[in-house]
Amino acid sequence: MRTGDFKQTYGELVTLVDSPPVWLWSALLVASLIVAPFVLNSYVLSFLMIILITVVGALGLNILTGYTGLISLGHVGFLVTGAYAYAILVSKYQMHPLVGFLGAGVVPALASLIVGAPSLRLKGLYLAITTLAFSFIINTVILEARWLTNGARGISVQRPEIFGISFDSDAAFTYLCLGFAVLTLFATLNIRRSRVGRAFVAIRDNDTAARVMGINLHAYKLFAFVTSAFITGLSGALYGIYLSFVSVEGFPFLLSIEALAILIVGGLGSALGAVLGTVLIVLLPEATRLVFSLFSAQMDALFSIGAQELKSMLYGLVIILFLRFQPRGLVGAWHDLRRMWVNWPLRY
Amino acid sequence: MQYFMQLLISGLAIGAIYGLIAMGFAVIYKSTGLVNFAQGEMTMITAYIAWTISTTVSGNVFVVALGAILAAVVLGLIIERVVMRPMLGEPVFATVMVTIGLAVILRSSINFIWDAYPHGLDVGFGRSIVRIGPIGVRTGQIAVIVTLLALLAAIWAFFRYSKIGVAMRAVAADDRTALLMGISATRVHALAWAASSVIAGIGGVFFALSYDLSPAMFQLGLKAFPATILGGLDAVLGSGLGGLLIGITENLAGGYLGSGMKEVAGFAMIIVVLMVRPFGIFGERDIERV
Repeated sequence: MRTGDFKQTYGELVTLVDSPPVWLWSALLVASLIVAPFVLNSYVLSFLMIILITVVGALGLNILTGYTGLISLGHVGFLVTGAYAYAILVSKYQMHPLVGFLGAGVVPALASLIVGAPSLRLKGLYLAITTLAFSFIINTVILEARWLTNGARGISVQRPEIFGISFDSDAAFTYLCLGFAVLTLFATLNIRRSRVGRAFVAIRDNDTAARVMGINLHAYKLFAFVTSAFITGLSGALYGIYLSFVSVEGFPFLLSIEALAILIVGGLGSALGAVLGTVLIVLLPEATRLVFSLFSAQMDALFSIGAQELKSMLYGLVIILFLRFQPRGLVGAWHDLRRMWVNWPLRY
Repeated sequence: MQYFMQLLISGLAIGAIYGLIAMGFAVIYKSTGLVNFAQGEMTMITAYIAWTISTTVSGNVFVVALGAILAAVVLGLIIERVVMRPMLGEPVFATVMVTIGLAVILRSSINFIWDAYPHGLDVGFGRSIVRIGPIGVRTGQIAVIVTLLALLAAIWAFFRYSKIGVAMRAVAADDRTALLMGISATRVHALAWAASSVIAGIGGVFFALSYDLSPAMFQLGLKAFPATILGGLDAVLGSGLGGLLIGITENLAGGYLGSGMKEVAGFAMIIVVLMVRPFGIFGERDIERV
């Protein structure tokens, strides 16, 4: 009988997954996601695309906020820079889409150096405020730099064709998003179990202690910023392609809140949490609409009028309720459930 | 020169509104140690309630003012009791995130309770123009500057002389010792939320008087952020003065550099202030002991 979760070597502690069945289930999940585009209709498929794109962004924010403990209220700024970098490189200067994706990562990463450097002296709330300021400044910069960004008119973006493979159809684009999501997931999981990831977590838990142990706070905080911005920028590029049109209005401030809501609902500082949180937050408005439409057609009408408002209200409510009743998020709930399953009828 | 003076005066007027809201931020930060990201939304709701009173009950200035203050007190108390008090003792990150969630909820509730169209708050006062030399000023703009100065003096006296004010400072300085001295921290927090809601609400009502009510009014909170950072998050009076500075800077930047700069002048200033003096002009430096 399994009596507990014992680790005997350090290697076991930092393995990617701690039990073999997880590989099986993950493989099954990926397989079902590969089959999905053939089975699902285009409406459901659009949700799948959004989830995969959002997972990339949420994992990006998770490196900064979840692992390193630096709160960012301005991640939509990196999202919009990434989208514009891709749109300008590919649509305007006809470059290869892969160059576009590279630019979508590198440009926000450079921008993050500019925000990150002054922020290094700041902690907690102050950092949240600087990043918030950044996201507003970047919007103005984009609107003012008309020669490059077409100002308020925006730039339209085609779905890419890479090495002769066209990602024009919904199914093909879903695969592209799936590829990015899986790569990002592996990247963040590996960052977390490396020396760098342990430094991030040390900074989050107690930065003074981390510094005493010889962790270079400035270097690691900047590195967290750059990595996070790089990944978020990629997500922005994908989102721009999904919308097929990049403009400042396409990236409202609410997206920053949505990203934080995802991390809180999922469980801060966990890659699995970011994925679970994304699924819940993306499907929440739709699920609520379905539940209410069962009751009356009137509620359904309300949803079509004030869809945006109801969506933001739901996000707010979910953030408050989770912080109040389940601060460890869905991952915490899952761990509790798993422990209960193993130990029942004993408590532990 | 006349153009400059005109910009300066209207900058002072809008700056006084930012200053009021910034004082709201500072009152809560000073007594509870958290930044209330829902301040702009609370301001907006108070202004909307004032508008409802003026259109349904009576357009009299005093009725509207009294009603708005009462509404702001109730709003602050409800939020403190229902949303914030259960979070007492949780990490700052969680509590601040709760205020962000609250902000999103309040912001969208405007469209359900009222509507998405702009409204003018008309109490028969505030929109007429007085000429001081060559410069035209609205009476509402003069009134808001006077109100800010009066409130600054009143709050200074409150924190300096009144027993409750001293208790609030005690809780802010060291809540555990304050508890041992017999001060009820929850009561102080409730009072802080109510006071902050009223001070910021006054700013919101003045904004509605001089300009218009609209669901985008919550952005006043974002504009008042730079003010409170500039003055110091824990400095109530400093935040009020910071508001005036931000208002003037913003208006001058808008007048001479273009309207795009007007929107970001405050935020650009935040980043500079945070780099040079992160605790603000009047704030106290935070010393961390290990």
